[in-house]
Amino acid sequence: MTQPKEIDWGLMEATINKHRGETWALIPLLQEIQAVFGYIPPDSIEPISEALHLFPSQVQGVVSFYAGLSLKPKGKYVVRVCRGTACHVKGGQSILRVIKKELGLDEGETSPDYQFTLETVACLGACFLAPTMMVNSTYFGKLSPPKVTSVLNQYGKDKGEDE
Amino acid sequence: MKAITLAINGKNISCPPGTSVLNAALENGIKVPTLCHHPHLEPVGACRLCLVEDEKTGRIMASCVTPVAHNMSIQTDSPVIKTHRANIIRLIMANHPESCIVCSQGNRCELRQIAAELGVGQTDLYPMPHYTGLEEANPFIIRDLSKCILCSKCIRADHELVVVGAIDYNLRGFKSRPATVHEMPLEKSSCTFCGTCVSMCPTGALSIENTRYVGSPQKESSTICGFCGVGCSLVMGSVDGQIVDVNPSHREKTVNLSTLCVRGHFAHDYLNASKRLSEPLIRKDGELSSATWDEALEVVAQGLISIKEKYGPQSVAFLGSSKCTIEENYLFQKIARVILGTNNVDNGSYGSGRAVINLISERLDGGGRITPLAGLEEAEVIFVIGADPTETAPVVGYYLKRASRIKKVPLIVADPRKTGLVPFSSLWLALSPNSDVELINGLAALLLKEKADDSSFIDRFTQGFDPYCDSLSGLDLEKVCRVTGVEMAVMEETADLLKGKKIAFVIGHGILQQKHGTSAMDALVNLALMTGSLGGDNKGFYLIARENNEAGALDMGAVPDFLPGRRPFYNNKDRKYWEKLWDVKLSPDPGLNLIRMIEEAEKGNLKALYIMGENPLLSLPQPERIRNALNDLELLVVQDILTTETTHTAHVVLAGAAFSEKAGTFTNMEGRIQSFEPVVSPPGDARPDWEILDLLSRRMSHADGYASIQKIRAEISRRIPMYSEFGKLGDESWIRETSNLRLFHPYEEGESISFSPVISVDNEAFDKAYPFTAILGSLRCHLGSGTRTSLSDRIKDFGLKGEVEIFSEDGTRLSLKVGDKVRISSPNGSIEREVTLKKDLRSDDARQLMGLTQLGETDSPGWNGCHVKIQKI
Repeated sequence: MTQPKEIDWGLMEATINKHRGETWALIPLLQEIQAVFGYIPPDSIEPISEALHLFPSQVQGVVSFYAGLSLKPKGKYVVRVCRGTACHVKGGQSILRVIKKELGLDEGETSPDYQFTLETVACLGACFLAPTMMVNSTYFGKLSPPKVTSVLNQYGKDKGEDE
Repeated sequence: MKAITLAINGKNISCPPGTSVLNAALENGIKVPTLCHHPHLEPVGACRLCLVEDEKTGRIMASCVTPVAHNMSIQTDSPVIKTHRANIIRLIMANHPESCIVCSQGNRCELRQIAAELGVGQTDLYPMPHYTGLEEANPFIIRDLSKCILCSKCIRADHELVVVGAIDYNLRGFKSRPATVHEMPLEKSSCTFCGTCVSMCPTGALSIENTRYVGSPQKESSTICGFCGVGCSLVMGSVDGQIVDVNPSHREKTVNLSTLCVRGHFAHDYLNASKRLSEPLIRKDGELSSATWDEALEVVAQGLISIKEKYGPQSVAFLGSSKCTIEENYLFQKIARVILGTNNVDNGSYGSGRAVINLISERLDGGGRITPLAGLEEAEVIFVIGADPTETAPVVGYYLKRASRIKKVPLIVADPRKTGLVPFSSLWLALSPNSDVELINGLAALLLKEKADDSSFIDRFTQGFDPYCDSLSGLDLEKVCRVTGVEMAVMEETADLLKGKKIAFVIGHGILQQKHGTSAMDALVNLALMTGSLGGDNKGFYLIARENNEAGALDMGAVPDFLPGRRPFYNNKDRKYWEKLWDVKLSPDPGLNLIRMIEEAEKGNLKALYIMGENPLLSLPQPERIRNALNDLELLVVQDILTTETTHTAHVVLAGAAFSEKAGTFTNMEGRIQSFEPVVSPPGDARPDWEILDLLSRRMSHADGYASIQKIRAEISRRIPMYSEFGKLGDESWIRETSNLRLFHPYEEGESISFSPVISVDNEAFDKAYPFTAILGSLRCHLGSGTRTSLSDRIKDFGLKGEVEIFSEDGTRLSLKVGDKVRISSPNGSIEREVTLKKDLRSDDARQLMGLTQLGETDSPGWNGCHVKIQKI
């Protein structure tokens, strides 16, 4: 399996240092780390807790509580499929099935090349566009199996190229 | 603030604002069931069992997190509430495995008790237990989180009381459970195995690893912990006369609150060790063999009397123990002084800083001894010097960590090593070993420069400030920085933090056992006087006592140079007082201390030694030298609870009782006097030590003796003014301030305290042959030399070998790897140990347990910080 990018610990230290001593800033800091590194590397829990005068167990508790924070590296593109009521009625289940097949991933899994991560969410809040999904921060609505395939292909093209 | 009035179950109640409805009910004798509530923890409202109803609004709320409001009309037991409660219990039970039959919590399970009280039997719900693995690799705690009801008591105890933070909730929803970082087993986490969480757990999710007995003990009795000087209140559970478990006392106002440490909680299984002595022994034909008490006491009495008559009273000595009770220590020194006419009486705490303690006693005339640990949480600033309480006296560590993390008290740590307190400190002064005197004087000089002296305190209570100022202003601060290795900027930062505040000093073995310990203490007293940091509950000197009754043994005069009540022997008035009471002429000759006893035995001047509760062959350096000295004695009597290296060399062995098997009293490091009753009987024919001493003194003096412990207690409280409150108000009292100094006098009458001259100490020149400095440290799992803790099966299983910690770069230079064996030698001897490498040390420092230094120095032993060389073997 391919490994995710090496973590730049210098950058990590700099990110943490911006909030040194600010116990209140745990969540903003975690969001920042998540944004910069794509996840919260487990080895960063110790330095984060030290900088914010918290216990490592507390930091882990917060990270593992929020679905938006992850201790595992995620793919370059995070696909979130909505399984809310409106999407369900409009065939969200088959959309999910198509995506699973196209990506070869189950819910919560990441592709070995760290290109895609597949997740489901309770509701994306765009019921009028049902069935919906998101890729990173872009919404895609009124999906149909052919549309899904074309959206995924659009991201699939980048494969191997760096940003 | 105005009191709030409300009605609970129709009863009108008035209480201060901010009180929770639950506490208001409990204080008025109204019972409300709870699973997550504990008086020492912040309420969280997790279990919802404390639901109550406000009749006026119909609202149902968790009473533990609802503050009282005017004109509330609360019902704690209405039909609605009862239904809700029963449903909550049904749901918890449906999620709980049906493993009661094998659960060690037995009838102590609070879930089971509440279900019984609410009449919930079968839940009629589909059982959905959440099975998790059982964790039992460590020798202390078993975790079966399938029994966890998510009350979060363990997590709150961990964060709010012991402040370790090893566990917190991980994940959420159904998966949520208390977990360590990365879900590691406890022994690989920061857990210190204090066991506080185990005592708090309402179910069997956390339990004590117990191989002897699983289930509820037959009876529980209160006592006081027999290990360190904190003196924690315990309840010990026993089955058929054997102690099977230990928990913190259920009382609310104890020194330890609801905490304990790994020793107190788990190491008391040594009491059931096979090495316990159960009968007196007499040496016949070179072998120790069983004897009756009559025979053994007769040999001792005859022996002591005849040796005294033949060689004079100076040929007999008594070495007592700071682990024995105050009643025993009082009797012990009385036998020496009154019956045998010698002041040769000492106790094992000699090595833990006697010279320093004597110095502070002398300078403050015995004042400032009452130092409640709770005061640390109210302190303005805390200065910890040469102390590692997270290892030596963990409960003191909890107070300090709570002060820093929860109460936000600035904490300064001065220690060459990065101790467990450093992560909680505002500043860490990593000074060179043995340079404390320079550091303290340097800080005093900086504070003086900043005009941070408390002039009104100085004027009212002290004298000699001007010459002190003069010599401080002449101090070369650059030299201070050079000697201590602390940068000027850090010194200034420290002075800024101390400026204008009253300081609470926490002092440990780094000062008490250091060769410049007395000079450092002198400098600290000066600093305290200058900043007005004396006389009060949240400032002054907190001296960490290594053993449970170190303070008490000194108070009872079980030392050569002080009479009971810590009155100096050279003071004629004090001597006359006791001569009159005891109706005897006291020998004016100063007695022998522990070290001099050994030296006199070597010279052949000491002929008989009576040792009670000490194991000098293990606890003192140079064991071969001590063995030879003891072998030269005509009579060696050892009274102990265990077969030790020392009992093997004795002529007579008297089997005593452990603290849990007798009545007695300990005085802790705060000045709190705590009495206790026996939990179980002594093994076999062994007897409480006070009884042995009483029988012996009756045999030697043909007087009546005491026959009951109450009589000894009465004599102590009547004759020693410091103990005048002792025994008056139940089991707990405090020593009384008896200093003649104005500072400690209620009407500010009396003498003033003098500043002592500023001295600077010269550290011996660097010796190329011995390039490392050995710093002695103790481990949390062991106490002192480990005579008792190393007999605990659990501690043995934990596998601590007393490795030497070496700075990793020095290790690389000597091509040492973790686990290599090394020989560490000083000019006085050598030991062999395995190595671990540490990054958090200063270069050139090695840390070791005990045993490299010379016996000879009588003033301050200087067992800490000696120069050594390290060779790989």
